Amino acid sequence: MATVAFKSIHKSFGATKVLHGISLDIADGEFMVLVGPSGCGKSTLLRMLAGLEEISAGSIAIDGREVNDVESKDRDIAMVFQSYALYPHMTVRDNMGFSLRLRDFERKLIDERVNSAARILNLVPYLERFPRELSGGQRQRVAMGRAIVRDPKVFLFDEPLSNLDAKLRVAMRAEIKALHQRLKTTTVYVTHDQVEAMTMADRIAVMNEGRIEQLGEPLELYDRPANLFVAQFIGSPAMNVFDGVLRRNSGGEAWVEALGARWPVAPEVGGSDGQKVKYGVRPEHLAVAPGAAVPCEIVVVEPMGAETELLVQSGGTPLTVLIHGRPNVHPGDRVALATEAAHVHLFDAASGQRL
Amino acid sequence: MKRIARDAWLYLMAIPILLWTLLPIYHIFLFSISSKDSAFSGALWPAKPTLRNFETIAQQHHFYLHHFWAQIWNSLWIAVAVGLITLFVATCAAFAISRLKVKGGRAVMNLALFTYFIPAAFLAIPMYKAMGIFGLLNSRWSLVLAMVTLAAPYAIWVLKQASDKLPYELDEAARIDGATPLQLFRLVYLPLMTPSLVAIGTYALLLAWNEYLYAYLLLSHERTITLAVALGHFISADDSPWELLMATGLVYALPPAAIYYAFRGYMVSGLTSGAVKA
Repeated sequence: MATVAFKSIHKSFGATKVLHGISLDIADGEFMVLVGPSGCGKSTLLRMLAGLEEISAGSIAIDGREVNDVESKDRDIAMVFQSYALYPHMTVRDNMGFSLRLRDFERKLIDERVNSAARILNLVPYLERFPRELSGGQRQRVAMGRAIVRDPKVFLFDEPLSNLDAKLRVAMRAEIKALHQRLKTTTVYVTHDQVEAMTMADRIAVMNEGRIEQLGEPLELYDRPANLFVAQFIGSPAMNVFDGVLRRNSGGEAWVEALGARWPVAPEVGGSDGQKVKYGVRPEHLAVAPGAAVPCEIVVVEPMGAETELLVQSGGTPLTVLIHGRPNVHPGDRVALATEAAHVHLFDAASGQRL
Repeated sequence: MKRIARDAWLYLMAIPILLWTLLPIYHIFLFSISSKDSAFSGALWPAKPTLRNFETIAQQHHFYLHHFWAQIWNSLWIAVAVGLITLFVATCAAFAISRLKVKGGRAVMNLALFTYFIPAAFLAIPMYKAMGIFGLLNSRWSLVLAMVTLAAPYAIWVLKQASDKLPYELDEAARIDGATPLQLFRLVYLPLMTPSLVAIGTYALLLAWNEYLYAYLLLSHERTITLAVALGHFISADDSPWELLMATGLVYALPPAAIYYAFRGYMVSGLTSGAVKA
């Protein structure tokens, strides 16, 4: 168990800068997810923590000890790779015990630890098999087992679920989370999948182009995205965002003119009259309401049972509406949309920052 | 129907080629079981097949065969040494270039490969001179060193290509698991490279076993030459004992055939593994 601290981390590959001063403190026992589109630098940051990449500038500390010049093997970390990286010529047992064998543990102690990890991960029947004889999910569990037996200070996960099919991914997601709740080991988890980030993290760092766009608890990011990037990255289906102009009158009222209609905003929102803004509203915060202000036409109806997703066109802009239950609407219907000011996210059009 | 037609076509091609390849070998075999008088009879099968020639060889009962066992031992000793040393040099080089990514490693490999632009025959004289300076002429080591030099660039290249195919995450996982480069080499790299190692070891071994020119130049004493050179001596006489030459040749061809047969599975997967840059 340990804390992890990144201090103004920079990284360049030749002339290409990939990380521009990342600072991030991870608490003891915390499950921190680094999420972002590919190329945002999240994996690089993780690999620097693992000691697999040089640190161009800045410092990384594990449990208060700077590890910049410490070898991977002496950082007391364990990593799960996207490709699992199991040793193909070793059985599951030998794969899991390899790190202990290298550290000259006694055979008995290795067996004890491997067996205990295998029990946690339901791998006992597979201990004498080779990786090629296992399914993707089992291989993933072996990779996790290899990490567990070490009892390291920090677990590192580099997109561990990307190679699994959708159903297995959901199951393994829950397994990893349960494992963390059981072991309470500090964990840094890299993914490009915001659903994984939302469901697993204690806190999420949303990264983009080598910077942290926002750091916070999952629902905090969902409810109050600090900028347009986070707003559009977090949430599925994605937030509706369109251009508008902020209007204020002397009576203290505020609204946004967009898509040929008048959209509500909270009166206390920042910004001045006439300012160009991006208006953001999540699909579940749009409702089909007779007589509402915003006319639109239904293009596609996607029933999912508990919810129905509507793709609509308003003023030539496609919007997504998520409705609980099964509304009686059909493609081609002309309906009206309503939303509440409390659920609206307003961003400055130029800077993308929240108003 | 289409399949049968295609197979027939293949057989039509294969049978003449097979005959063409096997005919000389059959010829050797025929000579080796014929007595001296009937060797040139032109018959497809000798009237009185005999194993006398092999007996003569085993007992070294001929002028050209007085040192047969010493010579075949030289051949074997040198071939095995070349195989092992080439393997050691090339594996270490490939590991350093491909896995440890030592700076300048690729340049060294390309330089080594560049030597193949110069025909080995041209290098023979400088090599002779060098061995002379080192005082190694007429020693088995001279041929061993020369053959390792000739075999190593190709061996390094094939092994480097093969090891490039091992996922790099394995090295990273091993590093995090606590492996030093040597442990990585011994516990992860070598086991995974086994098929390629067998193929390359066999390649170097057979290259040395079959070598004539360098052996002829570097070794000159009756007791130090390899069997390949000894076979060459047979033809220096006016009345060459052809039946003995062919019988000795047949014996000489057996070990490589056995080695190739034993490792045939590795040969196909190993030698083609470096062929295409994936």
